[in-house]
Amino acid sequence: MRCSSYGLVIPGSDSRFFSTGTSVVPPDPSRRLCPTRVSFVSFKIKANFSDACVKDLTGMTFYQLLGIPESGTLPEIKHAYKQLARKYHPDVSPPDRIEEYTRRFIRVQEAYETLSDPRRRALYDRDMSKGLQLAFSARRRYQNDMEMEERSEWKNRWQSQLSELKRRSMYKDARGNMSWGAQMRKQKEDLSEEL
Amino acid sequence: MHIAGSGTFALLLHSLSFSTVGEGMAEPAYTVASDSETTGEEKSSPAFPEIAIGIDIGTSQCSIAIWNGSQIELLKNTRNQKMMRSYVTFKDEVPSGGVSNQLSHEHDMLSGAAIFNMKRLIGRVDTDPVVHASKSLPFLVQTLDIGVRPFIAALVNNVWRSTTPEEVLAIFLVELRAMAETQLKRPIRNVVLTIPVSFSRFQLTRIERACAMAGLHVLRLMPEPTAVALLYAQQQQQTVHENMGSGSEKIALIFNMGAGYCDVALSATAGGVSQIKGLAGSAIGGEDLLQNMMRHLLPDIESRFANHGINEIKSMGLLRVATQDAIHKLSTQTSVQIDVDLGNGSKICKVVNSEEFEEVNQKIFEKCEKLIIQCLHDAKVEIEDITDVILVGGCSFIPKIRNLVKGICKKEALYDGMIPLEAAVRGAALEGAVASGISDPFGNLDLLTIQATPLGIGIRADGNNFVPIIPRNTTMPARKDLVFTTVRDNQTEALIIVYEGEGQKVEENHLLGYFKITGIPPAPKGVPEINVCMDIDASNVLRVLAGVILPGSPHPAIPVMEVRLPTVDDGHGWCAEALHKTYGSTLDLETVQKKI
Repeated sequence: MRCSSYGLVIPGSDSRFFSTGTSVVPPDPSRRLCPTRVSFVSFKIKANFSDACVKDLTGMTFYQLLGIPESGTLPEIKHAYKQLARKYHPDVSPPDRIEEYTRRFIRVQEAYETLSDPRRRALYDRDMSKGLQLAFSARRRYQNDMEMEERSEWKNRWQSQLSELKRRSMYKDARGNMSWGAQMRKQKEDLSEEL
Repeated sequence: MHIAGSGTFALLLHSLSFSTVGEGMAEPAYTVASDSETTGEEKSSPAFPEIAIGIDIGTSQCSIAIWNGSQIELLKNTRNQKMMRSYVTFKDEVPSGGVSNQLSHEHDMLSGAAIFNMKRLIGRVDTDPVVHASKSLPFLVQTLDIGVRPFIAALVNNVWRSTTPEEVLAIFLVELRAMAETQLKRPIRNVVLTIPVSFSRFQLTRIERACAMAGLHVLRLMPEPTAVALLYAQQQQQTVHENMGSGSEKIALIFNMGAGYCDVALSATAGGVSQIKGLAGSAIGGEDLLQNMMRHLLPDIESRFANHGINEIKSMGLLRVATQDAIHKLSTQTSVQIDVDLGNGSKICKVVNSEEFEEVNQKIFEKCEKLIIQCLHDAKVEIEDITDVILVGGCSFIPKIRNLVKGICKKEALYDGMIPLEAAVRGAALEGAVASGISDPFGNLDLLTIQATPLGIGIRADGNNFVPIIPRNTTMPARKDLVFTTVRDNQTEALIIVYEGEGQKVEENHLLGYFKITGIPPAPKGVPEINVCMDIDASNVLRVLAGVILPGSPHPAIPVMEVRLPTVDDGHGWCAEALHKTYGSTLDLETVQKKI
């Protein structure tokens, strides 16, 4: 059996694929992932429709996300991160905005993890100066990760699924999906409403 | 009040019926026997919401604390003890635990009727080395070595009465709850519990189950050193308030070693925010030091006690108490005389010095060092950057432990602002208050913990390898994904087997659950992209999502699968074995090479 008979791109890590001497096309990220991008577009639109905040944030640089200048020092980055954690960590979220806060916090976390690591920050800065303004697509290059574009679409895809799931579970288990802090606040609210 | 009570009961039933599926027999539900003391209506009014209590269930000792409105208060039992022994005695019809029970002599506990060290047994299968080490305890721990729950029994009137770790823990928690309700004059429902860093998510479900059996609702399960980190954050916050200082970031290394577990955490603290940068833990503790010492004193201990007869249990108990006592003494003196009559004509008379103790336990101490180094490495923290080194837990009194921690961290002195045995429960009480939405006019509850995953979570792929998708020490909440592909041509199904742990091979990790992806469109191996995404949400719930994409296709090939984990029950050792037997490598996956 020769792989080439299928004439397909093989993304595998297995070296066997490449030692068969066939005309296997080397994995080219942009080409290979293209269909993936297409496949999730409809979901992306759906997800963005239901959640405007994603759209606002995806266009921001990590510096903008943390609210610091590009010349910001490490203590400034750490300080900004902790300030934003106090603001956006799901533990401090209002009960009805857990998902939004979770997403925001994860973005802040990504920005912090990149900018607080001198090596990753240097690479990020380099990419930014090359004009890759999109913070999330620039990150991929040094994260050894899959393409961010696809990544965020994948996220949107399952986020929309997740929010659907949460809406459903709200009925049967009104508190199960909230952070514990929010659960308590909800409980308090419910209690005061009853009286 | 009665309405609230029945609500709790309903929840209890719900959780019981929910989790008994696949467990065979339902275990009895324990409720607080006396309902008369629960008359705290005025206190649970909206103006004064219920504050969750903090519980530290230690392997050997247990304590309970609450934020009393201005500070943390440890609750005492009727014998004025803040620290209660974690055990349950099955002497009479009604089992009784270390909270209420008065022991005439410690040896009573070692007559075979008392079950303890439950924290080392809960959620472990009978192939686990920790379970095997527990076989020398003075009650029955039987293993069949096939990956099922170990058989545990107490000797009651010459009958081995079976029980489970969850049941023992639940009985104990009921006593704790009753004690707290009596003192606080209100019903207790919400709790924050501390747990060891090395606990898997499966073990957490067992703890939650024990709590549900005791009618308690778990607000949060907190790794012990992160509770200590929270207490530290509060103390630093207070210092800043007093000095009007700048409140710059402080790095603390927390080393917590009790009877059953050793945990390390690194936290970065500023402005009341405690960011957990690294966690490391292992099931090593005072119990291992004790067993090694017992073996040192009585080399043929295994064969001697293999039969678990009444006399053997008694002599094993005597030796245990004497050795424990000796180890305690070695914390303050360099040598100790051990003099114990084991009955049946054998006596141990020996002087043991601290060098011997350290030599016998060399491996344990080395493991402690490794954990600290691993934690420093994971957190990317340099030793010079550590502000404070905090040593807590029962083993923190052992000179060797103190020296090794100080040595690695290059510190002359340890942080002295905490009571070593109370730090974890105090942190849990703080978290309980913060989680309950309590605010403090002086900002003492203006706190936040940013938690990290103590263990990696991933799936089986690339042969028998564990491929982490959410690595250890990832900040929570988190979501990560990886792309996998098929290993055979026209492979239409794939098994996603989810594990948690640190080992490279799957069998070194905890099985959390599994599901099958079916309907993968026929394609050559390596072509379908199977995207496995893991999500830990704000309430620490783990979900795994798996989707299949064929290059060139505009849509996912099949509906995305979403599974909430863990899904395994107590037979999980069987499951991994059975999966392997049934499917072999036919439904394998491998990772798609990461791109540059």
